[in-house]
Amino acid sequence: MSTQTREKLNQRLLINKIFYKLIEFLSFSLLIPLGLILFYIIKNGIAYLNLDFFLNMPAPVGETGGGAFNAIIGSFMIVGLAGLIAIPLGILIGIFLGEFKDHKMNNLTRIAIETLQGIPSIIYGIVAYVWFVLPFGNFSAFSASFALALMMLPMVAKATEETIVMIPYTLKEASYALGANYYTTIIKVILPSCMKGISSGVLIGISRILGETAPLLFTAFGNAFLNFNMGKPMNALPLLIYNYASSPYQEWQQIAWAASLFLIIIVLGLSIIAKNVIK
Amino acid sequence: MIKISNKRKNKLFKSTLKFSGYFTVFLIALFLITLIYNSFLSLSTLSLPFLFGSKWEPNAGNFGAAPFVIGTLLTSLLALLISIPFSLSLSVYIGYFLKNKKRKNMLETLMDLLAGIPSVIYGFWGLMILVPIIISFQTKLGVVPYGVGILAASLILAIMIIPYSVSLGKDVINLVPSDLIEAAIALGATPYEVVKHIAIPYSFSGLFAGHVMAFGRAISETMAVTMVIGNRNFIPKSLMDPANTLASVIANEFGEASDPLYVSSLIELGLILLLITTTVNIIGKFIVKAYHVHTN
Amino acid sequence: MTEKEIILSVESLSISVKKHKIIKNLSISFYKNKVTAIMGPSGCGKTTLIRSLNRMHDLDKSFRVKGSILFEDQNLMKIDPILVRQQIGMVFQRPNPFPTMSIYDNVLAGYILNGIKLTTDEKDEIVHSCLKKVGLYSEVEDNIHRKGSHLSGGQQQRLCIARALAMNPHVLLLDEPTSALDPKATTRIEDLINELKHEVSIIMVTHNIEQASRVSDYTAFLYLGDLVEYDTTETIFTVPKDKRTEEYLSRKYG
Repeated sequence: MSTQTREKLNQRLLINKIFYKLIEFLSFSLLIPLGLILFYIIKNGIAYLNLDFFLNMPAPVGETGGGAFNAIIGSFMIVGLAGLIAIPLGILIGIFLGEFKDHKMNNLTRIAIETLQGIPSIIYGIVAYVWFVLPFGNFSAFSASFALALMMLPMVAKATEETIVMIPYTLKEASYALGANYYTTIIKVILPSCMKGISSGVLIGISRILGETAPLLFTAFGNAFLNFNMGKPMNALPLLIYNYASSPYQEWQQIAWAASLFLIIIVLGLSIIAKNVIK
Repeated sequence: MIKISNKRKNKLFKSTLKFSGYFTVFLIALFLITLIYNSFLSLSTLSLPFLFGSKWEPNAGNFGAAPFVIGTLLTSLLALLISIPFSLSLSVYIGYFLKNKKRKNMLETLMDLLAGIPSVIYGFWGLMILVPIIISFQTKLGVVPYGVGILAASLILAIMIIPYSVSLGKDVINLVPSDLIEAAIALGATPYEVVKHIAIPYSFSGLFAGHVMAFGRAISETMAVTMVIGNRNFIPKSLMDPANTLASVIANEFGEASDPLYVSSLIELGLILLLITTTVNIIGKFIVKAYHVHTN
Repeated sequence: MTEKEIILSVESLSISVKKHKIIKNLSISFYKNKVTAIMGPSGCGKTTLIRSLNRMHDLDKSFRVKGSILFEDQNLMKIDPILVRQQIGMVFQRPNPFPTMSIYDNVLAGYILNGIKLTTDEKDEIVHSCLKKVGLYSEVEDNIHRKGSHLSGGQQQRLCIARALAMNPHVLLLDEPTSALDPKATTRIEDLINELKHEVSIIMVTHNIEQASRVSDYTAFLYLGDLVEYDTTETIFTVPKDKRTEEYLSRKYG
């Protein structure tokens, strides 16, 4: 018969309940590592996230009052240049991918962009080293910006393509009907409508590369001093954290916690803004 | 300022767009060629023995990739295995069970936060907080308390890759047609039985692809692994051993390598890493296409 | 006249969703081994009514269901819904065989899902007899262990009926079972319904008046959550007592 004993039914209901509780537990248990990470960073970092941190230069070992000034400036300069390279180029590529669907290079370009996306971060560092550090004979902030720009490129290109493809054709038609040509239509009509999507992609890209360390290891390399010359080695927040983290000096570790807190706030802050820009 | 006519601007713009396509392809090609070209010295001098060589002694001129390939595969596989119970739970919980918008948003934000934390911060936290825990655990077990090593790296990697498999997993589970779920319920199934017999088989290829991609992510992860894996260039004998992965040995040694064969060997390691990552990614994408995995 | 025995008795059923009343204090008794059609304009509550009979509303927390459904000395509202669904089967508007299971396993899906173990002989027997009952056996016997994705809509729906029948339910609920099918497949299923009623009591929601007149013994006419009229199909269609019933029938008839 198709009906069951009460016993068997209860067994099934019990298994169901256990299963539900188990996956609920495993799901929320991820709060533990996240909580631990955020907790320790905030706890250890907040004490040292002070004026000294922001305004002072790194101090020699054993001295207090050191700061991350050069690293903060360095991060913004390196990421700034990377953005300047990646954003215009990425937007152009995105428009190309979205608009020139029948062009013979379209598929190949798409494959190139997807390949770029899958490359491990340290490999960008290697190539930037070969192209820009070796020939010039020294580490430079510029080589780091190049590596980071390559990392950011697919994000901007994809965001642009995805956005532009969603724009209804009628918008273009209206522009053409008024006598505008392709260039004017794209720049003055289509792109402004894409701003939200592109900005979101740009913000996400920036937040990712701000936290990247591996491509900087043998390009920007780091610098104990303040440096505004993009052709010379430069310090950056992730590099500072990496170097100080593995050091045995307490003052340096304190600064590393503060830098981690600062970096996390910016990175997570930017991605939250990026998500809300879409709305 | 040069005055360019509208017609010229238009033509220039279209050409620029097309050029950007060519430029990108050219850039990637050059990228790959650079890697291959600079591995050439090591490829030609050491060729196949390099792949299977277990000794990495730069000072003696011995270079072998085996310790790092093994380190990479071991940490990534272990990370994947550890992550599976959590990622499957989250995929099913968020994709099938959770109707409450608040809880759903909370868990999705949790995933986004985990994915957004920079690798170097995971590494720093791992070094400061996780490694001491492992040390006391190892002391209790009576093994050498390195703290750093395969275990530490795998644990951190597991946390880092969960958001990737969940992101695809929850979508495929959510897209199981409600028709099928209702049919199963009407036959008397409990939610567990619906998930086990209907939802998971239906979305299996998507779940699999998501985990393949998470695996690829683990393989290419650099900083967090570098900081907690212990930087030891020997084939690890146990999970408690310090080791190195392809990415971490490059991170550790590239800056100081001067001998051309040394540098070339490191770059060849990078090439191997790129090959493994690309293969895994292609497999993942293939599964998505071949099995028509339904996503938004 | 054949004796009519009541199989399912609905008493004072009220169903509301977020303060909106769909079914208002409805009582109706369904007869054993008869086909009862439930009809009415959109929004009258016919699908809501039929889905309450196998406790499908349990899935949606915003549904408030009050009243009793009496079946063989049990109040179906008070026992575990799984037990209800093991005794009352359902076939849906759009055919929904499980795509990851073979045709063979689809028929046995109720047993698989409920964790009921069967011997291979028992399985073969059930699959064979159910597929024969729905007239599908000869059409699929060569591919019985393959997945049914190549089956036509009508075949898929008959498979779903076989799947429901495999559990030996006392009552079979059909929610507009032919509305997604072509006329030929529809006729086949209507013939099937006529044969099946000797083994199982059938309650069918339909918006197709001709179908109701062809297939059903009794017809219930619902309007805005109320049971307006309930009688033998012959009576309803020839001498309806309520004006609303008459209007509905005549408007549809043209």
